[in-house]
Amino acid sequence: SPPGMPEIVSCLSPEKETFTCWWKLGTDGGLPTNYTVYYKKERENITYECPDYTTGGPNSCYFSKKHTSLWKTYTVWMTATNRLGSSASIPYTVEVIYIVVPHPPMNLTLEVKHPKYRKPYLWIEWQPPTIIDVRSGWLTLQYEIRLKPEKAAEWETHFAGQQTKFQILSLHPGLKYSVQVRCKPDHGNWSQWSPEHSIQIPSDFPTDDT
Amino acid sequence: IKDLFDHAVMQSHYYHVLSTEMFKEFDRRYTQGRELFTNTFNGCHTSSLPTPEDKEQAQQTHSEDLLNLIHSILLSWNDPLYHLVSEVRGLQEAPDAILSRAIEIEDQNRRLIEGMEKITSQVHPGAKENHIYSVWSGLPSLQMADEEARLSAFYNLLRCLRRDSHKIDNFLKLLKCRIAYNNNC
Repeated sequence: SPPGMPEIVSCLSPEKETFTCWWKLGTDGGLPTNYTVYYKKERENITYECPDYTTGGPNSCYFSKKHTSLWKTYTVWMTATNRLGSSASIPYTVEVIYIVVPHPPMNLTLEVKHPKYRKPYLWIEWQPPTIIDVRSGWLTLQYEIRLKPEKAAEWETHFAGQQTKFQILSLHPGLKYSVQVRCKPDHGNWSQWSPEHSIQIPSDFPTDDT
Repeated sequence: IKDLFDHAVMQSHYYHVLSTEMFKEFDRRYTQGRELFTNTFNGCHTSSLPTPEDKEQAQQTHSEDLLNLIHSILLSWNDPLYHLVSEVRGLQEAPDAILSRAIEIEDQNRRLIEGMEKITSQVHPGAKENHIYSVWSGLPSLQMADEEARLSAFYNLLRCLRRDSHKIDNFLKLLKCRIAYNNNC
């Protein structure tokens, strides 16, 4: 039978410079089937083919910097063709500025600090994802931290604004804590949480009432 | 100059947040996500303003040209925002969530124009004042009798406002880091 209808599932940009779209195939009708991704850009009559089917991994189309215009709508669709016919996905429209989902922050480090004249505290530090240009202002990132005693169910969340360091004073002595951090561009979506890091809080760590 | 930029960036960030909220409220209320109006989209009245299309182009654009571009985009929205407020009142059950934002955005647009003129006078003292802007001729389409065509015109205007407010915010943040923070934000 002719191929089933494929589907463009989503498109995301990790740094507002490139973007990738992913698709899901329909049935191939039991016959050898060719799949092609096409796209059009706003107010252009040219139909382009996907420039790169490999960089983004399986079932993906990657648009490098050279193929990415920010303030233009892209219409992306996929066709499936075999000996008995062809079918096309519903067109997927996207503007890169609204699909930014960054990678998680990196190099999360934890340390219990014991300053001379002050209470000890947990010092948390991290770095923005390397592919994001924060320094020139192209993207501005905000961060959120969450931590909990390893066996606890509930996370305690803190918004860190644009800082890449944070200090936690109230902790349960003697417990091992898990910590994660995530980031969000000024106009975009939260990243995944970073991998969990843990730290053992000393049993002599002062509680709030000491 | 740091304070001027920090203040302007707070305004432009808020300007884009408001524009996004207004667009999404309109989309939710009148379009219910139907892609109906997407096919009638033929670009924005500011499309003729030469605009960097990606990060490299933006970083290679002179500060004076970026400042003038931001100023021109803002000037180009003076007229449509003025009419948007009165025309939203004419919408079926004039939604306050949209009207209040339209009023606030018109005010933000005016403040940002003033802010940009202060910044430009500090960054480029003595520079010729920029009066370039794109004329908007969309008022008749906001007043059409055909409800569907009128809603489509509103949809595309709000879509352009959301896009242009992003440009303004993006370029301003770039300039702030370049000029006030020595490219080390």
